This record gives sequence, C-alpha cells and structure tokens, in this order.
Amino acid sequence: MDAGPGRSGNVIESPASPAGDTAAWARFEALYRASRDDVYAYVCTLLRDPAGAEDVTALAFERAFRRRRSFDRRRGEERAWLFGIARNAALDELRRRRRLATLLADPEAERAGNEDDGEVALRRTAVREALQRMSARDRELIALKFHAGLTNAELAKVLGVSESNAGTMLHRTIEKLRKACHANG
Amino acid sequence: MRTADEFPLDPAIVARLEAIDATLAGEPVDPAYAEVAELALLLSAERPQPRPEFAAELDAAVERRFRRAPGVSVPGPRGGGRARSWWANAWMASGGLAAALAAVIAAVIVIGGGGSPSGPPPRVLLPLRGAPLNGAASTAVGASAGASGSPAGRLGAAGGAKAAAPTTTTPGATRSAGTLATPGAARSSATPGAARSSATPGAANAPLAAPATFGPAGVQSVSPPANGRKTIQSAQLALITSPGRIDAVAQEAFGVIGAESGIVRHSTVTATGGSDGYAELQLSVPSGNLAQLMNRLSQLRYAHVGSRTDSSQDVNDQYLVDVRRLADARALRTSLLKRLATATTQAQVDGLRAQIRDAEASIASDEATLASLNKQVNLSQVDVTISAGAVPVGPPSPGPSGFTLGRAAHDAGRVLTVAAGVALIALAALVPTGLVVALVAWIALVLRRRGREQALDSV
Repeated sequence: MDAGPGRSGNVIESPASPAGDTAAWARFEALYRASRDDVYAYVCTLLRDPAGAEDVTALAFERAFRRRRSFDRRRGEERAWLFGIARNAALDELRRRRRLATLLADPEAERAGNEDDGEVALRRTAVREALQRMSARDRELIALKFHAGLTNAELAKVLGVSESNAGTMLHRTIEKLRKACHANG
Repeated sequence: MRTADEFPLDPAIVARLEAIDATLAGEPVDPAYAEVAELALLLSAERPQPRPEFAAELDAAVERRFRRAPGVSVPGPRGGGRARSWWANAWMASGGLAAALAAVIAAVIVIGGGGSPSGPPPRVLLPLRGAPLNGAASTAVGASAGASGSPAGRLGAAGGAKAAAPTTTTPGATRSAGTLATPGAARSSATPGAARSSATPGAANAPLAAPATFGPAGVQSVSPPANGRKTIQSAQLALITSPGRIDAVAQEAFGVIGAESGIVRHSTVTATGGSDGYAELQLSVPSGNLAQLMNRLSQLRYAHVGSRTDSSQDVNDQYLVDVRRLADARALRTSLLKRLATATTQAQVDGLRAQIRDAEASIASDEATLASLNKQVNLSQVDVTISAGAVPVGPPSPGPSGFTLGRAAHDAGRVLTVAAGVALIALAALVPTGLVVALVAWIALVLRRRGREQALDSV
C-alpha cells in the first residue's frame, strides 16, 4: 500500500457510504492513505521521539479502525476525528512517560549533521532550536498546522476550541516562534 | 483552552493566517507577509518523515486489518494497548456485573413474593358467614327452602330429594362446627389449596379462565381415605362472582345440588346488583356424592372459589361402642324375657317387667343414637356462600379441548403482565445502577481528559 503524503489539507473524498463493512473499510483505507504521514509527523513533533511516534501512530490507526463504525460525520470531518484519536494516544503516551520518567531522546540532534550549509541552514537551525524550546502546547499547534496540514477548522475540532480561538492561538504561537527565531539569529 | 466562545478575529491576524495557508498551498503571497511565509515554509520543511520500514510495516498491518499475524509484530504502543484492554475489560465486567445484579434482585423480588406479579391480586374477601343482609336495599329472591317457589323447593321436585326443612341450624351443623375451621381459618387453609389446585389437572380443565392462583377452581376433595371406617364429613365453600350474577350462580348451584341428590336445608339469596349481594346455602348431601358435589360447585360457570374447607371426623370407635351397647341391651332384654317366662311369683314378674322396660328404653336410646350417627355419616353437611366480588368475566364453557380464544387471550395478557412486572422490577434495579455507572464513567472521563492536558503541560 502506498500512502501518499496527503498534504492537501482537504478532507478526503469518502466513497459513497452504503451501510456495511465494505464501505466503512473503504473509507478508512482512504483516510489512512491520506493521513498516515501527517499523523506520524504530528505525533513525532509532539513526542520528539520517532520510535514512540511510530508506536503511537500505529495505535491511533488501529483505534480508528476499531471505531470506524462509530464515526459520526455530523460531529466533524474524518481527519479531525482521526487526529483527535491520535492526540489522545499521544497524550496517553506522554502521561505514561511522565509516570515512568523516561528520558527522551532528542531526534533533532540526530538530524543536525545532515543539514545544508549556508543561510538556509542557519535559518532552519534557528527555527529548529526555537521549536525545541517551545512548550508542548505550542509545539502541538505547530505540528497540527505545519506538519499535519490541518485547516484551522480541523485544528479547532481536534483541540476542542472554536475556530476563531484556534486562529488566535495559532497566530500567537507563530509570533512567539518568530520572536524566538530572531533571538536565536 | 477549551473555550467555545466566538469572537471576530483581528483583520491583521486573519490576513497573516491566510498568508500562511496560501504559502502552504503553494500560492503567491503578498510581500508584506514574506517573513511569515518563509517561517511557514521552514516549519513545513521540519516535518518529520516516517521510516520506510515503519511505513511498510504499518501498511501491512492495515492490509491485514490489524489482525495479528503469527511471527509478525504489529507496531503498537508499549503498554498502551494493555492499558486500554484492561480498561475495556473492566468496563465490560462492571456492566455485566450490574446486569447480573439487577437480574438477581428482580429474581429475588419475584420469587420472594414482594410485589410478585404472579401472586394473587389483592382482593377483599367477603365474610363467609354473617354477611350483611341489607333488607331495605336488597331484593330477596329466595327465602327458606320451604317457601313455595323457592329454589330449594324446586330443587326438591327436580332432584326427587326429601322435603327440605326450613330450619336455621341443624344439630349436625353444630356438631361439625367443632371440626370445621372458622371462616378466617377456612380462608387461610384454602390458600394452600389454591396453590395445589394450580398443579392439578382439574384446575387446568376448570371452565373458568381465572388463573389458578386467583381461586382454587376445580380443587379435588381433600379428605382422608375412609377405609371402611365410619366418618362424618362436612365442607364449606365460598364462591365469588360478579355482583350481577348472584342469583344466576345460586340457581346453578341449586341445579348441581339437586343432581347430586343433595338437600337444601336452608338458603338465603340476596341479589342487590352491588357488592353486597350474598347467598348462603346449607345443604345435606349423601356422603358418597360429596366429592362430586364439591367439584361441580367449584366449577360453576360464573363463579370462582374464594375458599374451600373439607373436614372429616372419624367416629368409628363411637359407632362400635354404640352398636355394642345396643347389642348388650337387646341381649339383656332377651334374657329378661326368658326369665319372665319362667317367673313363678308375682313379685318376680313385676321386677322383671320393670327391668325389661328399662332395657327397652335403653335400646330405644341406643338405636336413636346409632341412627343419628348413621345419618351424620351418610349425609354430609355443606355450607355454601356466594359473594359478590372482583372476578374475571366467565368465558363460555370450554370446548372439548379446553382451549378457547378467550382463555388464550387471557393467558397472553397474564404473561404480558408478568413480563412487564419483571421488566419493571429489573428497571428499578438497573436505573440507579446505570446512573451510578454513568456518573463514575463521566468522572473517569473528566479525570482522564484532565490528565491528558496535564501531560501536555508537563512536557
């Protein structure tokens, strides 16, 4: 199965939904194809642990698969529903890690040596460092918007806030990040 | 964080957000937002990518629809799955436990009889004796059996029985009162009979569609076996019918009594059309016909049995004593007569004649006693009362199979009533349990959500 990047940010086109397992499965499969990498990117940014992100991503899709029949379109689009599941799984993982007091690996350090040189590399490093210093809440917003490609409406659904509230939060986070980048630069 | 308030965004913020969206969508952006656009691109470039091995592994798991294949490790949480499984199992167990608890409570209540849906419905038992006879309001349609045109009088003609005497209370009735249960006791003693009758075929074949627990319709005669011994039998039967059918039931009872060669010693029928309608019959019936009479009276079409008391008293020893005393008296008289025949003096003759008179008086007394005892043994005393009360409308006589549409409908209604009662009891147990479970679930959900948010803050 080849899962595409799915960075369009649009809601996936669900097949006609006749009752039955076939339709539910087809819808889930389409959702998986469109969202696999997005979910991983979001979870990885939130956890800052690629291995943990893989586990949580797999768990999120498995949970979504088990609950695919309970999805109610009136309560939101499938992508928001899926990211809600992924968020809960990621937060559960964070709770578990907090209990176990596990030291997290720093994935950014692993990637530090692979960057280009020059101006772009400096800017990326500044952004990366600023991102590292951000709180988990801010990092989550960045991940949902820029790594998972959610629209502001979907972002609001996932976080359980209004769309305008989500826009304000996102704007504040970007401003915070921009200032942090300037401070680093 | 989780506020749902809607407020208009600052147009400048909206413009910046739109510039970000345009950048991510690859569209041109106003140079005024170049910095934000660049930041968006840099952030987007920081997007982590999954390892190809993980992507392939997850693809395979999705292809398998997350079924565990032997030898294949499905990527999953380290401990999260177990935690969820434990959570789900706990909830399933608690749900099952609550349902089982409710079922047990319902069963205990039903079996214990507290509000038993299968138990007898509350009803007012009218007094078996001494029922109020409202002379002003009532219309007496029958008086004593000796009255002309009275049911008992007609019975005497129809049944060919002996003329009934319009007496009030016979010595037999007085005598049997010692062995008969009091009215109150009769009712209580009839209760087991009701339960018993539900198991007898007679109850199943009773013409009334009334449930077996409502009245011991069709109960069999309960008396010890005679085994050739002399016994005095008596019975009391309390019938309940609808207020408008007192006279009809009484008339039907008279017919049955006549058919069984019974004698109505006393009868009073007061039909008022209301709940104070009442009929009282005092009968004598050949003891051989007692069981049949009681069974037939218990199965009258428009009445059901409120209570029934069967009594018996063994008088065999007394009978033998009386017979022996009579034989002795007769032997004494024979002996005296022989001695009289051989008497030679007037004094001897006078003395023997006096003794013979005494012996004959004793014989007469013993014969009367024996005759009375024989009469009590041969004729059983029966008291029948017919009261107005709540009674299901009697359906027409059942067919040969004993199954009618009316009875089926009644049984179906009964089954539905019992089922509804059981469901109501179960609901009464389940609703509080469900509320507690829902409250606990809600609290757990809130705590879980709060814990997740706290986990986000603590990182």
